[in-house]
Amino acid sequence: MYGSPNTVAGPRSVPVRRQFINEPGDIVSEALEGFAAAWPHHVRLNDEPAYVARARPAADKVAVVSGGGSGHEPLHVGFVGTGMLDAAVPGAVFASPTAVQIRDASMAADTGRGVVHVVKNYTGDVLNFRIAGELLADEGVRSDIVLVDDDLATDTGDSGGPGRRGTAAVVAVEKVCGAAAERGADLEALTALGRRVAAHSRTLSVALAAGAHPGQSSPSFELPGDEIEFGVGIHGERARERRAFGPTGELVPQMVSPLVKALGLERGERVIAIVNGLGATHDLELYGVFGEVRRFLGGAGIDIARTLVGSYVTSLDMAGCSVTLVRADEEVLDLWDAPAATPALTW
Amino acid sequence: MAEQLSPSHVERWVHGFVDTVEESGEYLTDLDRRSGDGDFGTNMVTALRRARRAMAGVEATTVGVPFQVTGETFLAHSGGTSGPLFGMWFRDFGKVGADAGALTLAMLAEATENGWATVARLGSAEVGDRTMVDAIAPASVALNKAVGDGSGLVEGLRSAAEAARVGAEGTSELLGRRGRTSYVGESALGSPDPGAVTIALFYRAAVESATA
Repeated sequence: MYGSPNTVAGPRSVPVRRQFINEPGDIVSEALEGFAAAWPHHVRLNDEPAYVARARPAADKVAVVSGGGSGHEPLHVGFVGTGMLDAAVPGAVFASPTAVQIRDASMAADTGRGVVHVVKNYTGDVLNFRIAGELLADEGVRSDIVLVDDDLATDTGDSGGPGRRGTAAVVAVEKVCGAAAERGADLEALTALGRRVAAHSRTLSVALAAGAHPGQSSPSFELPGDEIEFGVGIHGERARERRAFGPTGELVPQMVSPLVKALGLERGERVIAIVNGLGATHDLELYGVFGEVRRFLGGAGIDIARTLVGSYVTSLDMAGCSVTLVRADEEVLDLWDAPAATPALTW
Repeated sequence: MAEQLSPSHVERWVHGFVDTVEESGEYLTDLDRRSGDGDFGTNMVTALRRARRAMAGVEATTVGVPFQVTGETFLAHSGGTSGPLFGMWFRDFGKVGADAGALTLAMLAEATENGWATVARLGSAEVGDRTMVDAIAPASVALNKAVGDGSGLVEGLRSAAEAARVGAEGTSELLGRRGRTSYVGESALGSPDPGAVTIALFYRAAVESATA
């Protein structure tokens, strides 16, 4: 629903992308089966409806549940485990999970103390999580939503519109809420904490090349070699703006400077910096990007208290990266540092 | 002609609705192509066929059951936006009829009013936004009036079906703000919103089930 599929390549065209795939329609269920089999000590897969839950369910804590379209792996299923999520609900590629999936995953994860839903701001996701919340209320399960809307590129200031999209800051929200839930925080405190982290997070993403949907042999858009898409989301769509391609040292300040301004960060403040690959960008490049983020923030007198570099919130095989800054205080840093043991994030 | 709808009336209503949406599937998809992403009819038919299969395995012990099964099917299999809203719409009819052996005009008015509130709340849609609400709202007003006037069941349902039809046709003149057309704007003018048309078909099927 978010991306636009391409027409099938004609017999004379040369496929530009090849994928490891049986049938495009089976990729999500096959990947989930493989994922669960690869991490048997961390997770279990429920079949109908599909969701991933902890292999050993937690007792006596608020459950933290997230979900969204597939194609963003390792998000969200990769963050199921001690210290982060209790369950994650995958939809089809770039499409929201259904309300019944969310309801059943939440009921399986609920220990009687309620459920926090961490939701990236997209119309379909928000609607289905809201509906799930109403279905859960009918079952006597309390739940509330933490909406993650960190994408600065979609900050139009229009209060009647859909608002900013949710992107890589969702990892910080899941980490911090997951840790606080583990320590016994109640539903109200967790919701307030998650909303605070989300409100103090902003992200900008750039694409060097579009990704291709499963089974599609060509990417969802073409970019000239001397341009980048500036301000992309995580669903393969174009950005509102194209800018000139250039060295990392020229591109990164264009991403970080607006984040500092939007968050109102001042000299001496501390942040968590997340440099996230969008699917086809190598760690070598991502660490190069982080070096430039560090240089820029150092010049602005902003202290990078913690760092996460890697591909955590992807857009299929899009080449590109996002930079997220999260304003950090003692409480947030302490929760960030708390132990986590999940397939995608462990410390 | 029935003064109350029995569980078998309601089954006939829902089956009749599935049939008429199946017949209109291409038309609905074509309407959606002008205003949205062109998958409305296909998705609707797929979900309703699934609901019909699910209903076959469940005994309609109350008038709520066929609606409950239909609602749950939509909510279990539709991950977009229209499908879940229709799921919640059927769910409100299922709730009103949950413990009842017969459905009265007053109960239908209540279910419609609840469904309107649910869809408006979850979809943030108001009258005039070119959504299913533009058919639901006039149907609700007509049903409440029929109850107040002491009308018979069939008369009341006819007035609701007519009001929903007129409301759905009126969406041809509306620019979308909330629904699927909010991205395409004026190119959708001249054709009605497929969600509103589907609501009109729902009440037409109700009349047919009560008069058959």
